[in-house]
Amino acid sequence: MPDARLPTPRPGLPEDMVATIVGAALVALALAVTWSARPPENAASRAAWPKGWPTPLSRTIDKPQTWADDPLAALHDKQGRSVAVPIILGGAWVVAVAVAGAALGGRTAVGVLPGAVGLAGLAASAYLLAAQKVIHFYNLEYPLWALLLGILIGNVVGVPAWLRRALAGEYLIKTGLVVFGAEVLFSRLLELGLPGLLTSWVVTPVVLVVTYWVGVHLLRIPSKALCMVVSADMSVCGVSAAIATGAACRARKEELSLAIGLSLFFTVIMMVAMPPVIEWLGLDPVVGGAWIGGTIDATGAVVAAGESLGKEAGEVAATVKMIQNSMIGIIAFAVAVYWAGWVDRATGPRRDSLLAEAWGRFPRFILGFLAASLVCSWLFSRSPEFALWIDGSTTGFTSRLRGWLFCAGFVCMGLETNFRELAPVLASGRPLALYVGGQCLNLALSLAMASLTFGWLFRKGVEP
Amino acid sequence: MSPGGPLRLAAVVAGLGVVWCGGLPWIGRCAAVARHVAEMESREVNPSAMVYTELERLPVRPRWVETRVILWP
Repeated sequence: MPDARLPTPRPGLPEDMVATIVGAALVALALAVTWSARPPENAASRAAWPKGWPTPLSRTIDKPQTWADDPLAALHDKQGRSVAVPIILGGAWVVAVAVAGAALGGRTAVGVLPGAVGLAGLAASAYLLAAQKVIHFYNLEYPLWALLLGILIGNVVGVPAWLRRALAGEYLIKTGLVVFGAEVLFSRLLELGLPGLLTSWVVTPVVLVVTYWVGVHLLRIPSKALCMVVSADMSVCGVSAAIATGAACRARKEELSLAIGLSLFFTVIMMVAMPPVIEWLGLDPVVGGAWIGGTIDATGAVVAAGESLGKEAGEVAATVKMIQNSMIGIIAFAVAVYWAGWVDRATGPRRDSLLAEAWGRFPRFILGFLAASLVCSWLFSRSPEFALWIDGSTTGFTSRLRGWLFCAGFVCMGLETNFRELAPVLASGRPLALYVGGQCLNLALSLAMASLTFGWLFRKGVEP
Repeated sequence: MSPGGPLRLAAVVAGLGVVWCGGLPWIGRCAAVARHVAEMESREVNPSAMVYTELERLPVRPRWVETRVILWP
């Protein structure tokens, strides 16, 4: 007999729909506020606004700044101004998103509030760990520390009940992905013309598909989702691709953590090793930049490695990686369709038509992610003024908010991660073999395509 | 939280504090690491950027793409 003292649970919306609604509302807010504060002069000048129009929302969110010896230095930016208030407000955005999710999902917002505040505090702590200069400048990104912090607390101390009530890692990551859609601009795909398209669009899908196939059929890794996440983070653009495809194929927390760990480890090695190797091989810096852009996983590491070959190489490397960033939407959508239509189908009995079943399994928030991407891409391509509007909204607000949501999501994942489940797979060494084998293929094909396009076919075009 | 939780939490925080406030700054003063950090700072590169929107400067379309790209031959 049900306990009469307990409140009757309210019917709530499905998680994917809540993530889409909250994410879309945040993107709309960013666009509206940035538009309302558009500069009266030089509104279409990229020289005047290199990172887009300034948005008032940027004052409501920031993260701890880099520090060397004193963690308190993280509360001041390079100009010495205090960023304590925007950091606290950044945490408040996480709390607001968590509470809104609970309310729309049919749970009591008050019950979630203390845990959401704790979660925001842990996310800020993870950011603080990631902001130490040695960590920061060697590209050990915040997801690693958010996961580590969560794992440490979850396994050493235990998760208190008040914090457990707010754990909604998947929801926070899905909302972050819908917000991320505003940064995934299809218009950017043409930034490097035909050579850039060939380098990114030919090599990336080939490496992704071949690596996944090798993982499933040759290495016989039991989890297809793990194969997909490792293949995507290695062939596309590291952590962000792992998050998007992991959500699209419903990878387990432990699988996503493992893929991200592999990606960050090899990114550091490749960031340090590739520039001297390119110089030793005597490659043209433009070809070397394209090679770096096509192979190193993380965007920041690509710029760091590319710029050490020269300004032009750095430009090419960053732009090739930006094209790959812009492919995440298409790849996540394709993975979601493939998973709903083919992979999941094989594991369950068919009760309905193939299309109805696939639609039933399709992760709906991917549509929100794609819609945000399509709308912002369309606006971006309409005029130089609108491009600055989108850039200002994303660099000033949505990218920072997405970072906080991912960070809080990774803390949740760490708190709930049980690596014992992955122990047999880890002990086999097969995920490592898959990453290394896939990256070798990626290195070979990217070098061949970069040499073919930037070094030969379009050589006259790329000579500065 | 289990009965020994607060003690273990203090140990975890102390451990992180020793590594982050003692170990990492010491590594940061080693010549090769210090050189790398200084170089990245002077070039205003953010190696930890996950996506291009987090870079200090947005990647710009190189001028030769618009003006000089020609199809082979």
